[in-house]
Amino acid sequence: MPAGEALTGSVLRIERSSIHDGPGLRTVVFLKGCPLGCAWCSTPESQAPVPERGYVPELCTACGTCVDICPARALTPSRCGSAIIRDVVRCELCFCCVAACPRDAVRRFGTFMTVEEVVREISKDEVFFFHSGGGVTLSGGEPLAQPDFVAHLLRECRERGIHTAMETSFHVPFDSVERVLPLLDLLYVDIKHMDGESHRRWVGSDNSLILDNIGKADRWEGPVEIVIRIPLVPGVNDSDWNLQAVADSCRRMGKLKEVELLPYHRLGSHSYAALGRDYALKSLLPPSRERIIERTRYLARLDPGAPVKVGGGFS
Amino acid sequence: MFQAARPPNYMARINRLKARVLETRPEMDLENARILTEAFQETEGEPLVVRKAKAFRRQCREKTVTIWEDELIVGCSGSKIRGGILCADACWSVLDDELETISHRRYDPFHLPPEDRELFENVIRPYWKGRSNYEEWLAQIPEGTRELRDHGVIYVDRKAVRGFGETTPGYAWLLREGVSGIARFVEARRAQLDTARPGEYERDCYLRSLLIVAEGMVELSERYAIEADRLAAVEEDHRRREELREIGRTCRHVPASPARTFREALQSLYFYQTCIFMEQNAASYNPGRMDQYLWPYYASDLASGRITPDDAQELLDCLWVKLSEPCLFQDAVTAEFAAGYPMFQNVCVGGVDEAGRDAVNDLSYMMLQATMDVQLYQPSLSVRYSLAKNPNRFLRKVVELMSLGTGFPAFHNDDIGIRMLMNKGIPLREALDWNPCGCVETNLEGRLRHYTALADINLGSIVELALLDGRNGKSGEYISARTGAAREFATFEAFLEAVKGQIRYVTRAAVKGSHVIDEVCMRRPCPALSLTFRECVERGIDYAWGGAKYNTGNGIILIGVADLVNSVVAVRHLVYDTGKLTMEQLLDALEDDFTGHEAVRKLCLEAPKYGNDDPWVDDLASELFTFMANEIESYSSKFGRMTPGILPVSGNTPFGLEVGALPSGRKAWKPLADGVSPSGGTDVNGPGAVLKSVSSLPHDRFVQGTLLNMKVEPTMLSTQNGISQMMGLLKSMCSLGVYHVQFNVIDQEKLIRAQANPEEYGGLLVRVAGYTAYFVELGKDVQDDIIGRTVHHGISVG
Repeated sequence: MPAGEALTGSVLRIERSSIHDGPGLRTVVFLKGCPLGCAWCSTPESQAPVPERGYVPELCTACGTCVDICPARALTPSRCGSAIIRDVVRCELCFCCVAACPRDAVRRFGTFMTVEEVVREISKDEVFFFHSGGGVTLSGGEPLAQPDFVAHLLRECRERGIHTAMETSFHVPFDSVERVLPLLDLLYVDIKHMDGESHRRWVGSDNSLILDNIGKADRWEGPVEIVIRIPLVPGVNDSDWNLQAVADSCRRMGKLKEVELLPYHRLGSHSYAALGRDYALKSLLPPSRERIIERTRYLARLDPGAPVKVGGGFS
Repeated sequence: MFQAARPPNYMARINRLKARVLETRPEMDLENARILTEAFQETEGEPLVVRKAKAFRRQCREKTVTIWEDELIVGCSGSKIRGGILCADACWSVLDDELETISHRRYDPFHLPPEDRELFENVIRPYWKGRSNYEEWLAQIPEGTRELRDHGVIYVDRKAVRGFGETTPGYAWLLREGVSGIARFVEARRAQLDTARPGEYERDCYLRSLLIVAEGMVELSERYAIEADRLAAVEEDHRRREELREIGRTCRHVPASPARTFREALQSLYFYQTCIFMEQNAASYNPGRMDQYLWPYYASDLASGRITPDDAQELLDCLWVKLSEPCLFQDAVTAEFAAGYPMFQNVCVGGVDEAGRDAVNDLSYMMLQATMDVQLYQPSLSVRYSLAKNPNRFLRKVVELMSLGTGFPAFHNDDIGIRMLMNKGIPLREALDWNPCGCVETNLEGRLRHYTALADINLGSIVELALLDGRNGKSGEYISARTGAAREFATFEAFLEAVKGQIRYVTRAAVKGSHVIDEVCMRRPCPALSLTFRECVERGIDYAWGGAKYNTGNGIILIGVADLVNSVVAVRHLVYDTGKLTMEQLLDALEDDFTGHEAVRKLCLEAPKYGNDDPWVDDLASELFTFMANEIESYSSKFGRMTPGILPVSGNTPFGLEVGALPSGRKAWKPLADGVSPSGGTDVNGPGAVLKSVSSLPHDRFVQGTLLNMKVEPTMLSTQNGISQMMGLLKSMCSLGVYHVQFNVIDQEKLIRAQANPEEYGGLLVRVAGYTAYFVELGKDVQDDIIGRTVHHGISVG
């Protein structure tokens, strides 16, 4: 057995037949763990590097089944008797409560899988890849937070002739990037904000590592194609100035295939509640259709050096 | 971001025609039944088939002839635009049983005016009492079969309450020869007979009956010509006057003589369509491969400048509206099994020709366009898609039609259709010319006789009977084979053997019923239909008696695939593999419909499910359905080997009402899964995984077709990228050997209802932009966002 096949990765979920994450019909492997914390993140359950437990109080009847079954004795009914409280220190994340809950009020986010297991899932869709020109897309979380796992996984896909793409924040050491570049056909990188200070405010860290990695990846001698993505968040990064700065940065690139706007949506907001976290942008409304079209045309007029598209199923 | 093109000029007429159909309430139409009764009273003593033919001719001579405003293609089987035709000789008593309820029944009501009721009670009932096919059937149902039928384990009345249908008449022959040409062929055949030889008198009577119906058809079209002339004479609008004159000229020529133009071909075809429906009310008289047999007429009109593509499109659209007018009359129970006045007149486009070459032509596109233009419930438009031969441009047009969300076209994998025909015993040379029939069955123009769906078997009941040792849960009675007490099954294999034992017993009972139906139907000849089956004429043997070139038995249809698979898998997983439950615990929970056994239900629901590309589940599906195909094919009818199929129409709902809770986690009395589709809300890995699971069934062995309803995320059908991916998905489906798929795009109404009544929509999954969730669990604001996204295009939910 070649080294690495027994290697495990932290996987949030595998989604098949996606049409939004690269050419053709794609199998998207969402890896768990992200060095950033974007305020608008639509998959907060992908941020922590290990499996997590989610709880939906609206579904819970406080029947006590999980309290009785918990081997770590980490669960107790709340004082008012309408919910169950978890002692996070005691909880050993065995997820017995997920299996026991008769109302599906407890969820498990993420699991550990071997490269072989993930490849087996991906290979199931080879016929769809063939007819649609699709393949695999590694997403997250931040896939490059698990560089060994990801490199082995991509190598196995390449051996099977599967087209490979990755969606990354690039907020990782360039060493990690360098390891996967030769194994990728297509790379999606976000530019969340061109202003370092704003970037830090909304995302949790400065953008210099990201911009630096984009430059290095672009100058790398191999054939990978790069798509720059901008999550279009109203009032955060949709200003003329930011789009101009992105366009200026894009225009200098040699491997740029496309610039894609991803309009902000709040379809993941219920996941925050399940994780017991607050959603910072609770009152932010998604951009209107008119605004999306207007911003797209604006960016296109700035001529960023490649076609501008709208992603995320916008039609 | 597209600009809508201006609708073509002809759409104004089409929209008026269409509005008339939509505004007309279906009514019982007893005119034919009255004329039939009067004719039969006058022909006592003559051979049955001659009496049928004379009654038909009398209907042609006496029935109401109407040409409605704006029509270019004319004809009507009865006297009303949307009439339900009662075939008194087949099943007068169905109406008798429903006199009080027919106007208001839940499924497919027909208004019954008081004067028609009077006619029924004074003329029709007194004559036909004790003489109909349906009464013969009721008197002869085999005992074991009756018990299963009465408990909803099988449904086997369909053929006793309506005519043959499920057939594709020889339209091409009719257009080419005309009724008179075929009549000359009959005459020539008749001249060879020597009625001094045994058996030839019978043939002579039969051929005489064919000549009588041919005469009737010619007289009826002449009556339409006269009516058109009469209307033209009083018409003030110059353009309409010209149209009426053209209708007159056309009806004077066809169907009597060979069609010379595209318009004559369409009129001849529709005229014959109304005639066979008049002869026998039945579903699924299929026009079949219209793009092929109409092509020579269109091509020559176009070449000679007699027609423009727009003229032809208008005529096609007019025909499409006409095909939506008639309403299938059937009893209340049968209507539950196939609701929506389902005429199932299946028109097919695409596929390959007799040499295996790409058969797509301009008419293929125009027929897809006609369905886009008209958007009514008929004709049932089917596509034969040849992965190897048909062009991408054609596939794209197909997907564009799918995106309208009408459920059309039904998409068929051509290679599998061809193999199905061959598995019925049709040589490849002719199998290449197959056409979809009715719902998703397979057929062959002018050559093939069989009931595609003689009996339905309830697979939910099969599970219940296997768990209860042959006892019906609802009634508590033992009605089936005693296959052993489930509590004593030591191994999964023992349980599986009980399931197979039930399948054997129930299949056998259905076959016994089929034999009785076959005998009853020997007394239901159909000379008007047989007229375009060349071998019926050559042999002098009616379609009903097996005169067609190929007779391929009767179809037995399986309903509840996912319920069976998921239930057997759950038993294996919970009781035998993991030991999470004892059989005792499971049976107790099922008996109480899971009330007080919520933990058991959760385990049942979480057991692996069909539709997720899980080989552990799908292998079992393969094994079970190969077994069932073997079992059904091991029987023969007097007309050939029995054949399996998987198509519920709407039978999964009434069947569900007979089945208690199942190990799959399904609650008692709920609908079963439809066709080969996964149970709603249990397929969570997207459309690719569904297709992979579905491909585990041996489709080509289920020669009466397999039906798959699928849901996809909305952008799959509303964006250019999505359309391209949908094409990839359909091609993949063909590579996988799946036979059929149909997409139901549901509008936002359903989501709004789910928002208001979350308890009824617990399983409603939404997939929006790579994101899957149970709709009712989302907050109102997010629900509103999703509803908002469906404004422009349908969203697919299930």
